[in-house]
Amino acid sequence: MSRKLMIVLAAGAGLLAVTGCSKSTDKTSAPQAPVAATPASGAYLPDANRKYPERVLWGDEHVHTGWSVDAGVAGTTLNPEDAVRFVRGDTVKSSTGVQTKLHRPLDWVAVTDHSDAMGTISELKAGNPAFLANPTTKRWYEMMSQGPEKATAATLELVRAQATRTMPPVLMDEKWVKAAWQKTVDIMEKYNEPGKFTAFIAYEWTSNALTGENLHRNVIFRDNADKTRSLSPLTTWVSGDPATLWAWLANYEATTGGHALAIPHNGNLSNGRMFEEQQYDGKPLTPEWAASRARWEPLFELFQYKGQSEANPRLSPTDEFANYEVWDTGNLAGKPKTPGMINGEYAREALKSGMRLQGALGTNPFKIGAAAGTDTHTGLAAAEEDNFGGKLPSSEPHAGRWNQLFQKEAAYVRKDWTLSSAGYTGVWATANTREAIWDAMKRRETYASSGPRMTVRFFGGYGFSQADAKAGSLVATGYAKGVPMGGDLKAAAPGQVPTFLFAAMKDSIGANLDRVQMIKGWVDAAGKTHETILNVGWSEPTKRKLVGGKLPPVGNTVDLKTAKYANSIGAPELVGWFKDPSFDPKQRAFYYLRVLEIPTPRWTLYDAIKYGDKMTPDVPMVQQERAITSAIWYNPA
Amino acid sequence: MNLRQVSLRQFLREPLAHFVLIGLALFLLHGWVAPADEAGRRIVVNQARVDDMAREYRAQLGRSPAPEELKSLVDTYVHDEILYREGMAQGLGRDDPVIRRRILQKYEIILEEESGQGAPSDADLSAYLKAHPAEFERPATVTFDQVFFDASGSPAEGEQRFEAARRAALRGADPAGLGQDSMLPRHVETTPLDRVAQDFGPAFAAGLAEAPVGRWIGPLPSSYGAHLVRVAARTPPSLPPLDEVRAAVAREWEGDRRRRALAATYDKLRGDYDVAVKARLSQQLAAR
Repeated sequence: MSRKLMIVLAAGAGLLAVTGCSKSTDKTSAPQAPVAATPASGAYLPDANRKYPERVLWGDEHVHTGWSVDAGVAGTTLNPEDAVRFVRGDTVKSSTGVQTKLHRPLDWVAVTDHSDAMGTISELKAGNPAFLANPTTKRWYEMMSQGPEKATAATLELVRAQATRTMPPVLMDEKWVKAAWQKTVDIMEKYNEPGKFTAFIAYEWTSNALTGENLHRNVIFRDNADKTRSLSPLTTWVSGDPATLWAWLANYEATTGGHALAIPHNGNLSNGRMFEEQQYDGKPLTPEWAASRARWEPLFELFQYKGQSEANPRLSPTDEFANYEVWDTGNLAGKPKTPGMINGEYAREALKSGMRLQGALGTNPFKIGAAAGTDTHTGLAAAEEDNFGGKLPSSEPHAGRWNQLFQKEAAYVRKDWTLSSAGYTGVWATANTREAIWDAMKRRETYASSGPRMTVRFFGGYGFSQADAKAGSLVATGYAKGVPMGGDLKAAAPGQVPTFLFAAMKDSIGANLDRVQMIKGWVDAAGKTHETILNVGWSEPTKRKLVGGKLPPVGNTVDLKTAKYANSIGAPELVGWFKDPSFDPKQRAFYYLRVLEIPTPRWTLYDAIKYGDKMTPDVPMVQQERAITSAIWYNPA
Repeated sequence: MNLRQVSLRQFLREPLAHFVLIGLALFLLHGWVAPADEAGRRIVVNQARVDDMAREYRAQLGRSPAPEELKSLVDTYVHDEILYREGMAQGLGRDDPVIRRRILQKYEIILEEESGQGAPSDADLSAYLKAHPAEFERPATVTFDQVFFDASGSPAEGEQRFEAARRAALRGADPAGLGQDSMLPRHVETTPLDRVAQDFGPAFAAGLAEAPVGRWIGPLPSSYGAHLVRVAARTPPSLPPLDEVRAAVAREWEGDRRRRALAATYDKLRGDYDVAVKARLSQQLAAR
């Protein structure tokens, strides 16, 4: 599609007229670790003075609406306001005309429409027919064509008209000139209710390199409208190099005093480029490059509709659970992978290579925490298996959607049944505000879920013992004597060995837990990377015994005829302690948790029951949903 | 007027002549200054447009484009403009459902903006708040203590453990020493019932809503096991004063006005149209 057409589409992309009541209080302060959060204004109940985060806050950091040009072309009519209302728990009419609602609201959202469609600033000067129908704008248009003097006069008239609210209705301030971005900001301001619900100001920077290598980043601001409304989101038409985004972010922070971060996603569709060990233009990595990437990209999206990017069975052949919602047949455009590309696509591999690179570059460029989002392009962040909203209007709920073509890739015919109904990010923040949630993202105190809202705690330190693994006091102990997920362990003193506490509680309306696993990665003296997976907590421990490090499966209660399962297996809560059994104080290492649910129905089974769809045997019906925490890193002296 | 006797001077005094001349001048002027002749094959990239490209570039990258970069931007613009015009000329926009939708969205926006401007009065907002209490209500809250028992062991054992704890609690034993530890808080202070439902499960929250105040009761089942529970206090749902929810009420009020205005305009327009649906709708539905 031509850029011109894209711009035209974007200009009209459902810019619902919303008069912005963007009153933003300036609460500028540097990001900080949680210490006694101030009570949030506007809270309907006062937040306690919390010393540490007490309640996990669930959200989606990746939502597209009809204002994203691809979603709009696909027929999405919902706008950012609809998207936010849906996430808050309101009933919303989908693009296919169905009243739809989440079972449970989320606590926060980042609507991340593609910036590349937002540039409508030149519409007036381009002589958009909509403007020429109005005598005033027609006159301005003509003045602008008559040299700089007249153009300046026209601009002054326009500014005056805007200031005095006498703009021609067709122009109505932001609508065409300042466009979608300001509308989006205004909507987020309207729905952001500190203490109750957080609507981030955000956009997606959508670099596809040159041929569909997915290098997309969600840009999320800590700030309110006062700092963000007048900016112009970075597009990729000048360059697809992520370093230009980092430069843009640095410029944003320097000029506004604000804060922003970027969350890359779909490494699985990047054909090796997401975590490639060279710069975008092929030059070798530099210490500055590593420092920039580490600074701006503290998180990475592990789950979303287009597959997971945590681990791949080909990279982790001994991992029994890596073969989960895998999309590894090509890049975003379906171009197949060549051998070796897969090494630069998945989080676990990047966590390892990042530590290896740290030796040469001084900074670990891939020190990524865990995030998840839907990447919905319907405006509906619906990642509930029995309420899966689909990726595009064409995959919104209806009989037969499983068998529709998603994309004919060069080496694979991808159908909609491969869509993954995932995921959400759990954030350990001290308050439900932009500032507190963003700060928690920045310090990586987050975990990624494939959908269910299990509660997961993870602490590392040198002084934990079995006696500290008590559900009632583990959190206080963890913060007092160690660091939470996303944190760093300092070099061990002689004889010290890292110890860890964990506690996982099932989703209150969901499935029991099968097990908790610790995933460790490290770099040896020769610079070679390794990983190991340990089962550290599981249900029915008297019946299920480790054999050669492996556990017998938890079982399966899913009834394929009814899509029902029973919590007669698994455990509602798994709490425990472990000590690294193979610790070498000289080796860089990371540790993170994977918490697995018992088997439950996949969205395809719910569809099969609801619509009577007869699916082919290659379609998975049962899955083990999971949460992946941010890592804790060990840093030798 | 005798045309043969009309001098040039006289001719120039005639209003009709003025009209024709001005028209001619405008026509010529238009040919010189119009930057984009949409129907034809002339594309003029004027200074204003190039300046704009440069401005956007600066906004994006924090520096001015080099001449070759600017040339590349112009080339892209010309390329896109030519394909766009050719496409429009071939009528590609006419039957395109996307373009159709965009145009109707634009039109809706214009209609909305023309309908009602201006901020709502306090009376408007108060009336809206009264008419939609459920949207703004403070939820019911509850303060309670709970003692947890997991589902391990036989049901009979579970009952015994629970009974022993219940009797101890009734005798005034410290509840902190009873039951089992879990990640669930033993004391929950003034928390909305819907939050309690998210943390403990809906059945548990429903039980709390009806439990007597100040007495240990149970077993009350949750998503995790059974609980011995004592409600210390409950507050019913309440409608807050306007001042506390003004922003939210104004937001909903505006949305409501927008939807109504759009519907009213549509109803009016619809009245001007004669619409005939000549199709069997039931069959179409079945086919879908």
